Amino acid sequence: MSTPARRRLMRDFKRLQEDPPTGVSGAPTDNNIMIWNAVIFGPHDTPFEDGTFKLTIEFTEEYPNKPPTVRFVSKVFHPNVYADGGICLDILQNRWSPTYDVSAILTSIQSLLSDPNPNSPANSTAAQLYKENRREYEKRVKACVEQSFID
Amino acid sequence: MDKIEQNDGTNRDELIMQQQREIEKEISDSTPLVSEQLPITCLNAEYLGDEVFTSKIQDLAGKYKFLRRTRPDGNCFFRAFAYAYLEHLISNKDEYLRFKDLAEKSKDKLVQLGFPSFTLEDFHDTFMEVVKRVDPASGSTDQVCDELHKVFNEQGYSDYVVVYLRLLTSGKLQEEADFYQHFIEGNFTIEEFRHQEVEPMYKESDHIHIIALCTALGVGVRVEYMDRGDTHVKAHDFPEGSTPKVFLIYRPGHYDILYPN
Repeated sequence: MSTPARRRLMRDFKRLQEDPPTGVSGAPTDNNIMIWNAVIFGPHDTPFEDGTFKLTIEFTEEYPNKPPTVRFVSKVFHPNVYADGGICLDILQNRWSPTYDVSAILTSIQSLLSDPNPNSPANSTAAQLYKENRREYEKRVKACVEQSFID
Repeated sequence: MDKIEQNDGTNRDELIMQQQREIEKEISDSTPLVSEQLPITCLNAEYLGDEVFTSKIQDLAGKYKFLRRTRPDGNCFFRAFAYAYLEHLISNKDEYLRFKDLAEKSKDKLVQLGFPSFTLEDFHDTFMEVVKRVDPASGSTDQVCDELHKVFNEQGYSDYVVVYLRLLTSGKLQEEADFYQHFIEGNFTIEEFRHQEVEPMYKESDHIHIIALCTALGVGVRVEYMDRGDTHVKAHDFPEGSTPKVFLIYRPGHYDILYPN
């Protein structure tokens, strides 16, 4: 059945294939266009460099009027990522705009990796280390980069 | 983006959003997106024994014959405006053609203002589809009115119309940012205000949204305010001095459609 949400997700997918942003990829799962798997590569010149972080994106029929639920499957040590992989990012909550597509979501999460917002912590240890002990922060991040190869 | 500080590692955002979804579902199960025409006196049931409101309803009933309710989901202004204006156009063919032409061209304008053309196209296509479905030339007035009512109660179409009007409003705020900046309370920039209070669905509308949308589309709106003050409803026209084509009633937090005598 074609609904506005499904139609739009097909368009999002087509765009992602034709015009893929650097360092991110995503596709619907085999039998359900409402659930996607995605990968974000750790941005260069950040401690996340070389990491391959997997995510799931779950859409509802209200997409794009409501944001999808995005979650890291790979373990990510980051001030704005919860222990369960949930992401604290304004555009996925109160600043969501229906003009964002999957491509925009993934690139926003990618830039969140480079620029954490330690004032809105989902992982308070990561936030504290990011502010007060950058060396230890980077060490912990690099450990999850290595873990991401195995996952 | 100020969030409550938290240290227990639970994903509180998700809990809040889940609760919000439950409340929204309760509302959507009990109210249609847009109701049938109802007598003005249907408001009495909500204000039994309240003298101020009862006298205001009486005042309102002297000027208007019907009311049409919209779902209280934060989109009510945009939905009520779109419905009432398209309904007005069904019996005003020349103005329909003016509006259709303006709507057709509005996409390129928004793209020029920096909106992402890829996603904008999706909303614009659907918006134009709705506008064409209520073409006065497509049937008798009654048939076209039925079509309008049907399409506005289909969530997919109805919400896409709301989104597109929100984008037009946001575009107008950006285009005339110097002017609208004065109306914004607090420390918001126009940019922040557009992204936080205009573009997201379910965000309630204030005067600034109304003025920007009416100006963008060249459509006058009269809002009848019904609140605790005075004994009569107070009318306000947007933009000031315009001839209203759309009539709405505002009760704190909500807009419905009115039909003048």
